[in-house]
Amino acid sequence: MKILIIEDEKELADNISIYLSSENYVCEFAESFSQAIDKIDIYQYDCILLDLMLPGGDGIKILEELKKMNNHDGVIIISAKNSLEDKIKGLQLGADDYLAKPFHLSELAARIYAVIRRKQFGSSNIIEINELNIDILAKKVTVGKTDVTLTKKEFDLLLFFIGNKNKVVSKSAVAENLSGDMADMFENYDFVYAHIKNLKKKLNDAGCTNYIKTIYGTGYKWEI
Amino acid sequence: MGNMKKLLNKTLGPFILYALVILLCSIPAYIYLVNKIWVNELDEHHRGIKSKIEKGFNDLNYAEPQLSNTINLWNSLQHGVQVKPGDSNSISKENLYTINKFDPFHNEEEQFRGLSSYITINQKSYLVTIETNMEEMDETIIAIASVAIGFFLLLLLGFIILNRRISKQVWKPFYKTIEKLEAFDLKGNASLHLEKSNTVEFEQLNQAVTKLVEANISVYNQQKEFTENASHELQTPLSIIKSKLDLLLQYPALSKEQAEMIESINIPLSRASRINKNLLLLAKIENQQFDEKEWVNIGELLNMDIELFSDQIESKNITIHKDFNMRTVVQTNKSLVEILLANLLLNSIRHSAEKTQIKINLNDNQLSFANTGDVSLNKESLFKRFISTSDQNRSSGLGLAIVKQICNRYKWQIIYSFDNGFHVFTIKL
Repeated sequence: MKILIIEDEKELADNISIYLSSENYVCEFAESFSQAIDKIDIYQYDCILLDLMLPGGDGIKILEELKKMNNHDGVIIISAKNSLEDKIKGLQLGADDYLAKPFHLSELAARIYAVIRRKQFGSSNIIEINELNIDILAKKVTVGKTDVTLTKKEFDLLLFFIGNKNKVVSKSAVAENLSGDMADMFENYDFVYAHIKNLKKKLNDAGCTNYIKTIYGTGYKWEI
Repeated sequence: MGNMKKLLNKTLGPFILYALVILLCSIPAYIYLVNKIWVNELDEHHRGIKSKIEKGFNDLNYAEPQLSNTINLWNSLQHGVQVKPGDSNSISKENLYTINKFDPFHNEEEQFRGLSSYITINQKSYLVTIETNMEEMDETIIAIASVAIGFFLLLLLGFIILNRRISKQVWKPFYKTIEKLEAFDLKGNASLHLEKSNTVEFEQLNQAVTKLVEANISVYNQQKEFTENASHELQTPLSIIKSKLDLLLQYPALSKEQAEMIESINIPLSRASRINKNLLLLAKIENQQFDEKEWVNIGELLNMDIELFSDQIESKNITIHKDFNMRTVVQTNKSLVEILLANLLLNSIRHSAEKTQIKINLNDNQLSFANTGDVSLNKESLFKRFISTSDQNRSSGLGLAIVKQICNRYKWQIIYSFDNGFHVFTIKL
């Protein structure tokens, strides 16, 4: 799957591409406004990561360009501005998601995964991993023929792991995924442990293989 | 203001005192003058009477003893004027005097002005004594004093009225300047416009004040821009560090210690980006970047926040007591109110001990958060930036500063109190 990283900070773009490359993703780069326009004119991408502040132009204009071209590539805005206006404007112009810098690569990977699945499968967005079956739109999880009832947070956690298959995700990344923007305000991430324990238990009880591995008590890995 | 006085009232006081002293001094002066004139007039009058008596008796042309009888009759009728045979040697002597004596007519001791002089009737010398009661002097003094006091009151009234007029007109530019300065808000992004005055001193004052304020605005804007730019620029290196750590975590050969090290870097890194985000947020609020307003249901937002932080609430075994009026709506910026409520709730959760209560009350005009605590917090510095109220070092030190800033923005009053073992934050909506 092809991903275009429109980001003028080379180091960050490289990190993103390294993290994503071990999956089925192939990353291309655009470091300026004009480079970005050139690339979207010629190629099709499964997902575009768009930094709004670019040398040579406003990233919002790229969204407008995509809209004009009737291009339906998935777009995730990654911005340092974290401004609500940009977020609203971006989403109105057809961006699929908005992620404020600084972010965990695991969070980005989960978002990319979600955007690509939504674009590709639309109304029949069902993930199948061996015995595990996840209907994203209906928010329904089954193991074999057994229904698993998950809370909203457990369901989100499951998708977060699946978006980061075979990757170690840190406890703080999981915490930020669960509590959003406010996670870093708390003294400890014990609640992460509680949710993961519950999720594991529910899946195990339904007869699912234990895919979630704990790495030294500081991280987790969905191993398959 | 206590003992403070208006400038004009300060000048009015000495003026009034001076007028009072002068008027008081004028009373004895008037009395002295009036007395002098009165005595002179009496003396002149007495001389006139003397001449009339002399002429009258000479014109009668009576011979003795008819003359002596007439003089005796005169003396018995006219108590104030006595004519007696006198020493012819003292004919030119005239004696003017003032005496106190008993007045049988008024039945009391009174002051008299007298003239004793010699007249010649039928070539014979007579001593004439004329005395007039001066009792009217007392009344004169009272009259003069009353007039003086009357004029003083008129003067006083005049001063006060003039003072008011002057303060209204002459001092108008001054009061306008003060009014503008009081209403001026450095954060309001507006510059100060003072009206031109044709009074030299006021114009000088206005120019000096304008210069000072402009310098302040410029410094303030620089500071604001600096915060904004610095926070902005920091986001990128923070992003790079964060992503590098995520990559590092993927190495299969990572030891337990190394994995723990990475996680222990992640925590302060999150804190750094939180501080950064909050500084940016403060700068944005100060820049009035949250303009859109809508009707926001506070109770609904609170319930959403309680749901969002349910993990933290449960892990600390905190009980939340809610008393919400779910109809409370406020016209405001939704994102700012969300931030305000989340910060207050988080603050309460973070500073609560395990197995305690948080009480949240909401009615039409106020919202309060109460959590248990041991001692009152420092009210002076509580809402300042980077003042940590506890030893928990995960705080960004900006949460309450943001709360305060948002309250200021909407002119809501926020009060902290320590009541019965509870820290209470109350916002008057």
